[in-house]
Amino acid sequence: MGATDNQNSFLNRISIRRNQVVSMEGTHDQELEDLEHFQKHVADRFLDLLSPPEDYPSDPFLSIAWIRKLLDVFLCCEAEFKAVVLMGRDPTQITKPPLDRLVPEFLDRVVKALDICNAVSSGVESVRHFQKLAEIAVSALEQRPIGDGQVRRAKKALNSLVTAMAIEDKEGQTTKATERTWSFGRRTGVSAPNKDRAAGHFRALSWGMSKGWSSAKQIQAMSMNLVAPRGNETSSLVQPVYIMSTIMLFVMWILVTAVPCQERTGLMTHFQVPRNLVWAQSLIGLQDKIAEEWKKKEKKCAAGLLEELQKMEKLGQSLIEFADNFQFPAEAERLEEVAAQVAELAEICKRMEEGLLPLQQQIRELFHRAVRSRTEVLEVLDQGGKGTPPMM
Amino acid sequence: MDEATNTPKALKTPKALGTPKGNVTDPFENQKEDSEENKKQGQENADQKEEEKDSTGGEHSGPLEPVEIPEDPHPTLEKLSDDIERCISSLPTPNEKDENQQEEKENANDEAKDTKGDENDGKDTKDDKEEEDVKDEKGEKEEEKGEKDAKEGEKNDKEEKDVKDENKDDEKAADQDEKELGDKDAKDEKEAEKVVEKEKDLVPDELLKLIDKFLTWVDDICCEGRCRWGTVPQDDEVFLEAVDLMAKMRESLLSVCSMGLKFQERHGGLINRLSSIQHRAMAYLEEEFRILLEESKTESDHHHSTAADHNHNHNHNHNSNKDSSSGNKGKNDQESQPESESESNKEGVVEFPGFPEEVVSNLNKIATKMISAGYESECCEVYIISRRHAFDENLHKLGLEKHSIDDVQKMHWEALEREIMLWVKAFKQCSQFYFSGERQLAESVFPEPVLSEQTPIWSCLFSNLSRGVMIQLLNFAEGIAMSKRAAEKLFKTLDMYEAVKEMLPKIDELFPGECARELKTETTTVLNRLGEAAILIFCDLENSIKAETGRNPVPGGAVHPLTRYTMNYLRYACEYKETLELVFKEHTKIERSDSTSRPDGRDDYDASDTSFEIPDDESPFAVQLARVMDLLDSNLEGKAKLYKDVALSSIFMMNNGRYILQKIKGSPEINACMGDKWCRKRSTELRQYHKNYQRETWSRLLSFLSHEGLSNHGKVSKPVLKERFKSFNAMFDEIHKTQSTWVVSDEQLQSELRVSISAVVIPAYRSFLGRFSQTLDPGRQTEKYIKFQPEDIETYIDELFDGNPSTSIFRKKP
Repeated sequence: MGATDNQNSFLNRISIRRNQVVSMEGTHDQELEDLEHFQKHVADRFLDLLSPPEDYPSDPFLSIAWIRKLLDVFLCCEAEFKAVVLMGRDPTQITKPPLDRLVPEFLDRVVKALDICNAVSSGVESVRHFQKLAEIAVSALEQRPIGDGQVRRAKKALNSLVTAMAIEDKEGQTTKATERTWSFGRRTGVSAPNKDRAAGHFRALSWGMSKGWSSAKQIQAMSMNLVAPRGNETSSLVQPVYIMSTIMLFVMWILVTAVPCQERTGLMTHFQVPRNLVWAQSLIGLQDKIAEEWKKKEKKCAAGLLEELQKMEKLGQSLIEFADNFQFPAEAERLEEVAAQVAELAEICKRMEEGLLPLQQQIRELFHRAVRSRTEVLEVLDQGGKGTPPMM
Repeated sequence: MDEATNTPKALKTPKALGTPKGNVTDPFENQKEDSEENKKQGQENADQKEEEKDSTGGEHSGPLEPVEIPEDPHPTLEKLSDDIERCISSLPTPNEKDENQQEEKENANDEAKDTKGDENDGKDTKDDKEEEDVKDEKGEKEEEKGEKDAKEGEKNDKEEKDVKDENKDDEKAADQDEKELGDKDAKDEKEAEKVVEKEKDLVPDELLKLIDKFLTWVDDICCEGRCRWGTVPQDDEVFLEAVDLMAKMRESLLSVCSMGLKFQERHGGLINRLSSIQHRAMAYLEEEFRILLEESKTESDHHHSTAADHNHNHNHNHNSNKDSSSGNKGKNDQESQPESESESNKEGVVEFPGFPEEVVSNLNKIATKMISAGYESECCEVYIISRRHAFDENLHKLGLEKHSIDDVQKMHWEALEREIMLWVKAFKQCSQFYFSGERQLAESVFPEPVLSEQTPIWSCLFSNLSRGVMIQLLNFAEGIAMSKRAAEKLFKTLDMYEAVKEMLPKIDELFPGECARELKTETTTVLNRLGEAAILIFCDLENSIKAETGRNPVPGGAVHPLTRYTMNYLRYACEYKETLELVFKEHTKIERSDSTSRPDGRDDYDASDTSFEIPDDESPFAVQLARVMDLLDSNLEGKAKLYKDVALSSIFMMNNGRYILQKIKGSPEINACMGDKWCRKRSTELRQYHKNYQRETWSRLLSFLSHEGLSNHGKVSKPVLKERFKSFNAMFDEIHKTQSTWVVSDEQLQSELRVSISAVVIPAYRSFLGRFSQTLDPGRQTEKYIKFQPEDIETYIDELFDGNPSTSIFRKKP
C-alpha cells in the first residue's frame, strides 16, 4: 500500500531531522511543514476512500473490504500523528496550555474509542451469526429437488436472520428482546403441543457491552469539546490533535453505523465536521453519503449499513417471500429466479467468510494500537512534569 | 424367550411415544404378532420362510388399507422400520445408479418384461420374506411395475448376474460351515435376495404405504408433546433410527427418480413429503438439543455454585475426582441429592459445566445425527449460543458484571476494588475449571471429523466461545491497567497480574491451535500492561516521597507520617514480593526508560547505589526498594533540619530510623531484600544519633556537676557551689519540661534512652551530692539548693519522651 511507504519515509525523515536540530527555534518551520504534510496525507487518504482512482478496482462503498481499507487509513494516520506530536519533541510542549487540556481530552476520546471497538467487534460477531443463518438458507435452497422440507428449513433460518437483524436494530432493547424470544421458544417447547414449536428461535447473542451502554452516547461523548482550532492554533500542535480526534471520531462513527451496535438513537445528530476545513472535505463527502444511506435505512430497518448486510437483508426478505408462497412442485421459472438470488446470497456469505475474521482482527489491532499510543502520550505527559500529586 | 423380553418393551413403546390415538387392545394383539415376527427373524431360514408368509399376510394387511392407519397406532414400529429398510435396500443404490444409469436408459427395451418373468421364477426358488412382500404388491400393481421394470430390466439383468456370481461364491463358502454359521448365511442370502429384488420393482406400492405410515408416525412424534429426550432411551433410539431411515429413503427415492422423468412425477410428491418430515424431525432434534443443553444446565448450577468456594481445597483432588466422578455421575443424578454435601461439591467443581453423563451422550447422539443429516450449522448455532449464554450467566453468578473501559476509568476505587476481587476469582476459575470443562463438553458432544486433517467441529465452537469470553475478561484487566495510577491500586493490580500469569502457561493445553496463539498474544499483552502498570505505581512511591515537602516539623520529633506510610506500603508490597520481583524482572523496560528520562533523579541514586553495594544478581525490585529507602532517608534528613533544637532533630531521626528498622525486621521479605548489612549500617547510624542527642542535651548539664573549679586550695567555694546547684536545677527542670513533651513511641528506644541518660546523670549527681552536700548549711540552705535526690532525678528522667505537656517541676511541687 502506497500510504504505508509514504509514512515510513516520513517517519524516518522526521526522526533524522529532529535528531539533527537542537535549537527549539529552528524547528518551527519544519514543524509547520510536518503539519501540512500530515493534513495533506489525511486529505489524500480519505479522498481515495470517497472516490477511488478510476484505474483501480475498488470495493463497493461500505463493504467489508471498504471498511477494512478505512481502518488501514486510520492506522496510517494514527502512526503519522504520533510521529508529528511525539517524536523527538520536548515533553513540555504538550503540557502547556491549551494542550494541557486538549491532550487529556484526546486521551479520553481514545478510551471511549476502545469501548466502541469492543462493541463493534461483538457487532461483527453478530454478523458472523447472520452469515451462518444465511448459509443454512443457501445450502437448503441449493438442494435439488426443492421440496417443502428444504423451503421450510431455509425459511426458518431466514426468519431467524431477519428477526435477529431487527432485534439488533431495536436500539437499547437488545437484551430484553432476545430474552423474550428465548423464553417464548422455551415455553412452547415444554408444554403446548404446537405444530410449529420447533419453528425456530435462534437466540441472538448479546454479549459485549454492559447494560445501558450506548454507542450513540459514546460517539456524542467523543465529540464533546471538539472545536476546530482558530488563528494561531492552526499552526501549532493543537491542529494535529484536533485532526486525529476528528478522524478517530469519524471512523468510530462509521463502524457504529456499519455493523449492529448497541443503542444507536440519535447517532446522526451527534457528529458534525465543520464544512470549511480543507483537509476534511473528503471526510465531509463520506459523511454526507453515509447519512443519506442511514436515512434510507431508517425505513428498511437493517442491522447496519454494511453493504453485505443490506444485500443480505434484501435477499433474505425476498427468499422468505418465495418460501411463503412456495407450493410443491416449484415452477421452473421461479426456481431459476430463486437460484440466482441464492447464488447472490452465497456470494455474500463467501465475502463475509473471507472478510469478517480479518476485520475483527483489524479492529482488535486498532484497539491495541490505541492503547499503546495512549500510554506513549501519557509517558510524555508524565515527563512533561505535571508532577505527581502528593499522596497524603 | 423372545416373546418374554419383547412384549413388555413393545407394550411400553406406544405409550411412551405418546401417540394419543393409541388403542390399548389392538396394539397388544399386534405386538403379539410383532414379537412373533421378531422371533421369526431370529430363526433359521427354512422356518422363516413359512412363518413369515403368515405373518406378513397378517401384518401387512393393516398398512395396506388406509382406513386402518389411524387406528393402528404404530404397534410394530420396529417392524415397520425393518420392512421399509428391507424394501429400500432393495432399491437401486446411488453407486449402482452412477455406474449403470446411462446404459440402462439407453438400453431399456421391451424384453424387460420377459426378463422379469424369468427372474420371478428364479426368485421363487429362494427363501425370502421380502420377496413375498414384493410379490404381493406385484400382483396388485402389475401395470406400474411393468413400466418400471421396462427401464430397469436390462440393467438389472446384468447386475443380477454379477451379484449372483458373487452370491454363488458366498454360498459355496457358506455351504462349508452352513450349520455353524446359520446366522451369517441368513445375512448373506438376504443380501443376495435384496439385490435380486431390485429387478422386480423399483418402488413397490407396499413400500409407499409403509413410508406414508412411517412418516405419519415421525410427524406425530415431532408435533405432539413427546416425553423429554432421555426419559425413554429406547424411544430415542427408535427416533434416531427413523431419521437414518428417512435419509435412506430419500436417497433411494432420489436415485429412482434420477432414472427417469416418470419416476420423478410419480414419486415427487412423496419425496416432497419426506423432505418436509425430515426437516420437521431435524427441527425437533434441534429443539431437543437446545432443551437438553439448557435444562440440564440449570440443574448442575446448584452443584457448581456451592462448589466454587471450595475449589482451592479440592485442587489436588482434581484429577482423581474426574475419574471417579465419571462413573458416579449418572447414579448421582437419579438418586437423591442430599447424600453428602462434600461429595457433590467435589463433583461440581470437576464437572463444570455439570451435564450428567447420559445428557452428554444424548447430546452427542443428536449432534451426530444432525451433522450427518447436513444440519451441522443449525446444531452448531444452537450449541454456541446456548453455551455462550450459559457461560455468561455463570460469570454473572460469580458476581461479574460487564463494565466498559470508560466506566472503569470513572469508577470509585472502592467499587472497582470489589469488581477486581470478583474478576480475579472468576478469572482463576475460568482457567482452572471452566475452560477445560467447556472444552471437554464440546469434545464429547461433537463427533470427530471424518477426515483426520479436518478441524474438528468442537474445536471451532470451543475456540469461538472461549475467545469471546477471554477477550471480554481481558478487556476489563486492560481497563484497570490503563486507569489512573494510584498507590492503593498496586495490590489489586498485582492480584490481577498473578491471575493472568497463572493462565498463560495453560493456554496451550486449554485451547486449540489458532485460538491458543491468538489468546496467548492477547493474554501476554494484558500481562505486560498490568506489569507495567504495577511498576509505574510502585515507582510512583518515589515521586510521592519527593513530592512530600511539608515545612512543618512533626511535634515532639515523632515518627513522620511519610515514614509510616512508606514503610507500611512497602510491607504490604513485600507480601507480593515474589510477584513484584517477577514484574520488575520482566517488565523493567518502561522503568528504565523512565529513569533515564529523569537525569536529575538519577544522580541521587548513583551515589546511593554504590553505598548499598547491591550485588549484580540483585533483583531490580531490590534495587527499587533500596532506592525508595534512600529517598525516604534523604527526605527525612531534610525534615530533621526543620527542628531548631539539634537534640530534637536527633530524636526525630532516631524515632524514624527505629521505626524503619523495626518494620524491616518485622517483615522477612523486606529484610531479605535489604540485607543484614544494610540493617547493621542502619543501627550504627541510630547509635550515632543517640550519641549526638546525649551530647547535645546532657553534657552541658553534666558540666555543672564537675568537681573541677569548685575547690580552691582544698576549700569549697560556697557561692560557686550554690550557683552550680541553681544552674543544675534550672537546667534539669528545663530539660524535663521540654523533653517530656517529646515523643518516643517505641518503648524499647524510650527505655534505652532513659537508661542511658540515667546512667550518666545519676552517678554524677550522686557523687556530686555526696562530695558537696555537707558544704551547704543544713536546713534552709540545703533545702533551697538541693532540690533533687538522686531518686527524684531518676523519676523525672523516666518522665521524658512521653509526649505529655509538662510544667515546671518546681511549680508542680507544693
